[in-house]
Amino acid sequence: MNILNIYPAYRSLLVIWVMAIKDIRSSLTERAFMVTSIIIPINFLLLFLLFALTGGQAPTAIVLEDKGPYAQQFLSAMEHSHSFIIQQTTNTDAQNLMKKGQIVAIVTVPGSFDSLLRQGKQAQLRVVLNNLEVDFTNDIRRAVPLAITSFYANAFPNQVVIRAHEVDTYSHDTGYVQYLVVSLMVVSVMLGGLLQAGSNAAREYEKGTIKELMLAPASLWAIQIGKILGALLLNSLSVVVMIIVIVFLIGVWPEHWDELFAFVLLLMITFVALGSLIGTLVRRRQAVIPLSIGLSIPVFFISGAFGPAIWGDQVTATITQLQPVYYGIAIFQHAFHNFTTTSTSPAINGFILAGFAAVIVAISALTLINGRGRGVVH
Amino acid sequence: MKQTENTGPAIELNRLTKRFGDFTAVDGFSLTVRSGEIFGLLGPNGSGKTTIINMISGLSKPTSGEAKVLGHNIIHDTRVVYAALGSVPQETALYEELDAWTNLSIHATLYGVHRSERDRKITDMLNLVQLYERRHSRVSSFSGGMKRRLALARALLHDPLLLYLDEPTLGVDVQSRRAIWNYILDLKKKEGKTVLLTTNYLEEANALCDRIAIIDHGKLVALGTPIDLKRRYGDTVMEIETASSVSPQLSAKLSILPGVSEVIQKDKILKVTMSGDELSLTGQLITLVTQEINIKKISQREPNLEEIFLSLTGSGLRD
Repeated sequence: MNILNIYPAYRSLLVIWVMAIKDIRSSLTERAFMVTSIIIPINFLLLFLLFALTGGQAPTAIVLEDKGPYAQQFLSAMEHSHSFIIQQTTNTDAQNLMKKGQIVAIVTVPGSFDSLLRQGKQAQLRVVLNNLEVDFTNDIRRAVPLAITSFYANAFPNQVVIRAHEVDTYSHDTGYVQYLVVSLMVVSVMLGGLLQAGSNAAREYEKGTIKELMLAPASLWAIQIGKILGALLLNSLSVVVMIIVIVFLIGVWPEHWDELFAFVLLLMITFVALGSLIGTLVRRRQAVIPLSIGLSIPVFFISGAFGPAIWGDQVTATITQLQPVYYGIAIFQHAFHNFTTTSTSPAINGFILAGFAAVIVAISALTLINGRGRGVVH
Repeated sequence: MKQTENTGPAIELNRLTKRFGDFTAVDGFSLTVRSGEIFGLLGPNGSGKTTIINMISGLSKPTSGEAKVLGHNIIHDTRVVYAALGSVPQETALYEELDAWTNLSIHATLYGVHRSERDRKITDMLNLVQLYERRHSRVSSFSGGMKRRLALARALLHDPLLLYLDEPTLGVDVQSRRAIWNYILDLKKKEGKTVLLTTNYLEEANALCDRIAIIDHGKLVALGTPIDLKRRYGDTVMEIETASSVSPQLSAKLSILPGVSEVIQKDKILKVTMSGDELSLTGQLITLVTQEINIKKISQREPNLEEIFLSLTGSGLRD
């Protein structure tokens, strides 16, 4: 009987589809793992956001011993500096907060503040600093003089003769969270793809079912592409949830929906293929999880998550251009905010990402094919 | 690409060798399995059986030597061979989280079974292994025997010419073992399929196999039909109960007969251990004993494969 007489391309499509459906059904039976695969990327997104929200500004107490108009104006300048989380308190409360470690600094506006300024005399602002962490300490050291300058420019406009004339590249400012959340989405898509596809691939080895696939007279390309497709469809669940969170919960509305959908698909293919490759190589689901997280976090930090990577040091900027997250963040920043964060255009970034996707899919399939000869078991 | 028709040997192994670093798992192994026979690979744990099966099925590349399956080199014509091959690995390789029908359906797609035939074939196979009623049950709910039967059904689904069965009854109960034996015997009898099986059970090899190869430390130790092996390597023990005690002279006379390896006399019981062609020797022994004394009872114990296996491979524990 001729059993392989079906048109090869059609047969390969059938194999791809059956493998995808098989992996989806297998994953759905392991609910705990399925939930983990969806939850971890979203958790990653939300926890990093929380980190950004709480860690960006220095909690500072301000003690106004003078309630005059200049003192109020100075308070306003501090509040608008985007550097402090201000609490206006009494001196005693401020000392207590400092003792409990709940604030970084106490800025005291002396009782003679207004009268000294009116007389054109120097006024001393007492700044008590909890300098246990240099990043926050330097924030205060930079922000207080800036607040003073800003106060002066508003309170005594004739005395400040040098003014910055700002010309913005973009029509509106973008908040730290709004910028960061887009970068976080890329790395969450990466993490979700690695976990889902890596687990699907490793499961075959763990349960010994890889033999059934290896011994089949079907194309291993079709088998691996089918597995990638299955993981892609499963991964899209967490991606949809992520988009809903970003758009409707955090309120970051994409400027280019078409780019978002096209590039999110490209990113998912890239990382799902990478996950399949990792799963095929390590062959254990327990190893896939730490490897995926361990790979995602450093890549996230070097890929321009907090600002364009090309603004960083040259070595890091060069290294990061060798991996797909850099391009992912760039095209997502364009899709959401219309930003250009790389020296290459969004179209070129898209092509580079497509190249990454194609190469990783090919390597992933070739690894499986190579595994047939090297031995599934020894 | 089509399923190959083969009139020559089903499997030809020529000086097949597999090394893992300094360890030689299979050492210059040569063997021919004829089409239509049930062939058993026997060996202690770690003797190289599974490594040989993996090399024959292309899952492991030989360090040197050649494996031909149905006339095709397994390395060069992998997919042609796979189309004609059904395999039941030791661990069954079933998707236990899915149901029986889905498992067979996935296999049918992977092996290119045409959609129009698929349902009928799956139904036939599930009926053959008496699992049709459980077709929508998850495989994880099956007993070990049911899983083995399902794996066998899966291996037969695409109508292969050659079947590899790696420890086909490992860990299954006696009833399931008998059922699986019957399926395997029917494969040869009714469908003329070639079966290559590995087993640790000597009783299984004896019941199923036309020929047996005993391997140890990756080398072929003995090859032949079960009867041949018993004849060549086994000892038959004849126990003769006489009316009165046998004289030492008679014992001495018997012990120097060609083919007699040992004579033990205890009261009226004479135990004679024979090797080689015991048929003519039996007659000689009876004649010599009856010339001196009356025989009350004669019993003869055939050699068994287990003794042969232990004598060829040693009785030390293996990992």
